[in-house]
Amino acid sequence: MSGGSLAAVERWVEQPLRRFVEDARLRRTLLLHPSGQVVAQQGFARSVDVMSACALAAGIRASAGELGRMLDGRPFGELFHAGDGRQLYLADVATPRGPYVLLAVFDAESSLGLVRLYFAELAEHLAAAAPAPVAEPQVLPSGFEQELNRNLAVLFGRA
Amino acid sequence: MSGVQSPFSAMLSALARHRGVTGSMVVGEGDGLVVDSNLRVGVRGDAVAALAASLYRKVRRSSHAAGFGGVTFLQLEAELGRLCVAGRGRLVLVAVAERDVNVGLLRAEMRTALEGLA
Repeated sequence: MSGGSLAAVERWVEQPLRRFVEDARLRRTLLLHPSGQVVAQQGFARSVDVMSACALAAGIRASAGELGRMLDGRPFGELFHAGDGRQLYLADVATPRGPYVLLAVFDAESSLGLVRLYFAELAEHLAAAAPAPVAEPQVLPSGFEQELNRNLAVLFGRA
Repeated sequence: MSGVQSPFSAMLSALARHRGVTGSMVVGEGDGLVVDSNLRVGVRGDAVAALAASLYRKVRRSSHAAGFGGVTFLQLEAELGRLCVAGRGRLVLVAVAERDVNVGLLRAEMRTALEGLA
């Protein structure tokens, strides 16, 4: 069984993400914009942890992207790190609204194979569910901090 | 089938020649990833590997919980085919087969093939 309920700032991601969390038996999940702005979270108890994890995930993605460009001519599509008890999977999700980043944390109840299998379904479902883009997204919007605080408040029921 | 020969290639080819077998794979039990495979076109190797390894892990834990010891052979019989799984160490051998495959013979061949797993 996965740990913790799921909360999303953008409602259209909820259903596909909830199904992914259940199918892949994830312990913690984050969906974020490449800028580090959180879109949905599952399994985190504190907003400060979400903020830190999003910032780190965005940083890892950016670093790995550059490393991929250097070594392979294009960014790496997915990353995997194995810890003693928990493992981490980080991958891009392409949608009509632009790329999103998924961070999935799992343990021995799941496996990298299962997470990758269900991630492929998630990517399809998110791409199908995404509303049309409203405007060209900025790399780092001017109201980033205000937006970040608002999203965290929504996710943790303080909005 | 992958272009690179692995220590398991000959064993997987032998299993794939078995009548009714549509694919055979060596899969990591812990991560569910394909180590080597010999699959007919149309068999979703990655998906079958991940799910078969997950199934095998659960069955192995259930067997231990029930006091039955280790799992020697796992067979899933479905409407349109069979999935046979046997493990050794950190690897599992997975055979995807048609429903009318000779399971007894396949089981014997898989048990023999297991000797080749690390």
